[in-house]
Amino acid sequence: MKIVVCIKQVPETTNVKINEKTKNIDRRGLGGVINSYDLHALETALEIKRNVGGEVITMTMGPDDFAVSLRETLALGADSSILLSDRAFAGADTLATGYVLGKAIKKIGDVDLVLLGQQSVDADTGQVGPIMAELLQIPQVTYANEVIAENNSLLIKRNLDNVAQEITAQLPLLLTVTDTINQPQYTNVVEITKSFAKPITTWHASELQLDDSRVGQAGSPTIVRSISSPEKAAKVGHKLTNDPREAAAELVAILKKQNILTEED
Amino acid sequence: MDQKQISKEILLRMVKSFTENEVAPYDMEIDQTRSYVNELLDKIKKYDFLSTMLPEEYGGAGFDGETTAAMINEIARGNASLGVTLEGHFKSIDQIVKYGNQALKDEYLPQAKSRIIAFSMTEPSGGSNPLGITSHAEKKGDEWVINGDKIMITNGGLAEIYCVMVKTAPKELSFFVVDKDMEGFEYGKQENFLGLTGVPVGEIVMNNIEVDDNHLLGKVGMGKEIGDSAHNDARVLMGAVLTGIMEHELNIVTDYATHRKAMDTPIIQMQGIQRKVADIAVAKETTKLLYQKAAWLKDHHQDYEEEAAMAKAYGSRSAVKSGDDALQILGGYGYSLDYPVEHLIRDARAMEIAEGTVEKMRTAIALIEAKNRA
Repeated sequence: MKIVVCIKQVPETTNVKINEKTKNIDRRGLGGVINSYDLHALETALEIKRNVGGEVITMTMGPDDFAVSLRETLALGADSSILLSDRAFAGADTLATGYVLGKAIKKIGDVDLVLLGQQSVDADTGQVGPIMAELLQIPQVTYANEVIAENNSLLIKRNLDNVAQEITAQLPLLLTVTDTINQPQYTNVVEITKSFAKPITTWHASELQLDDSRVGQAGSPTIVRSISSPEKAAKVGHKLTNDPREAAAELVAILKKQNILTEED
Repeated sequence: MDQKQISKEILLRMVKSFTENEVAPYDMEIDQTRSYVNELLDKIKKYDFLSTMLPEEYGGAGFDGETTAAMINEIARGNASLGVTLEGHFKSIDQIVKYGNQALKDEYLPQAKSRIIAFSMTEPSGGSNPLGITSHAEKKGDEWVINGDKIMITNGGLAEIYCVMVKTAPKELSFFVVDKDMEGFEYGKQENFLGLTGVPVGEIVMNNIEVDDNHLLGKVGMGKEIGDSAHNDARVLMGAVLTGIMEHELNIVTDYATHRKAMDTPIIQMQGIQRKVADIAVAKETTKLLYQKAAWLKDHHQDYEEEAAMAKAYGSRSAVKSGDDALQILGGYGYSLDYPVEHLIRDARAMEIAEGTVEKMRTAIALIEAKNRA
């Protein structure tokens, strides 16, 4: 099975700062890490490979130094990596990103499964996977939390808010996974060194037969008018300071009123 | 970025995550139970931490001294004992790489991936005075016959392979490599130390262990040189452990002083607290720069004895003092066994003694300074 895992390098810190001018994340001085959901996608791909065989290719779009994250995926067990890097890709929103990634999937050819994390932890949109599936005209299943690979299909389980589903999906397929699907491994120390024997190929815009109007800022209809860090939530707690017996009774009354406890409790 | 920088970044990303998830949450439990919980040692082996600086030709990752020290720094931020267990293993590998004959390297270095190697000099009659030891090796035909008793070995009882210093003549020190599976090898008493309680420290007894010339580390009579070399390598990595301890102390005090209020003001706004926090931060950063410089000099084949001694002497004194300041800031909580500050002081205190006392470090530093100006 030929599997492509799309990863994103995100800022290391949870204390993300916004560039007031560009309305984008200010990445200066921030270390990068692989988006944590994507590590679950990679682990899913490696599990499928262990069970039914195949090839795992990782891919990301970004500047040259994002190759560090691709190298990390090679140390984790991927077979090869592709870096999509070109100044023309700068400023891409989810639509333009999905377009370029989709074109790269076509260029790779004969891909059976495209895997992504359910969303990125920095932008949180969860849109790139579905956009790619639409552009590639292949079926998609999002928010998978269990995958069993069979010869030409996958048995997928997903738990949504009010429903649990089991889906048998034919290949080719695009799948996004949750962070409950598996426990990603840590990178093996020796495999870091060995990973340099595996290839990272860089593809520029000119190698992907792209429509210039759909790439980078030009291909991004999203306009961020303003962006701000969330205000720290005001304290809404209610302190019970009276006699413990009275406080307990008051607490029970509050919990019942909010339907957390029932009359029977 | 070149391959070295990329490898280092990937390694440190992994170690940070490993420390946060697998090590730091168990720090108190390791201290209190005096053992590595959470199957930590199995995980350390599974992810090949033991091979970090082992050369690639023996199956290792081949990281340099600077990166290895940075990795130990990160681990020690979560738990100092685990940092010291790795330090003991790495300094031993270093000596086999540096002094071992090819047969010895071929036999033992590939095993270092999964079997911890320890370095053993101290005896009841000799620590900082190596000629005071009584363990000895006697040549009988083609074999060396080793007898003696080594104590206070870092990772003693946990390690499976031991580099042991013995006398091969009344005033001649030499090193041999012995294996726990050799006939005549026995484990002895385990120490009950004040700090670094996760690290087993114990005794081995050697009764007529027979080894061939290939098990001689370096040449006959090179014991002092090899011992000094091991100390220097260990001191660099101890600087990294001590930096990790001070980062831990700093995390605790900044978090506490930011949230703890007195007269409706977080105590971090008060000058008395600020001075202590600033002192811890400066000591942490100074120790870090010292061990990084020592590691850099080592990687570039320059003398690093003085910088290694500085990192350990300054770092250990500073980490104890910083721990004391942290305890004072936390008040009663700092003095409580239910909070981690007190065990950080106990952990740091061990390193004012191990791998050469602070007094010995100062002697070494002073003599090097005098020699440089002679």
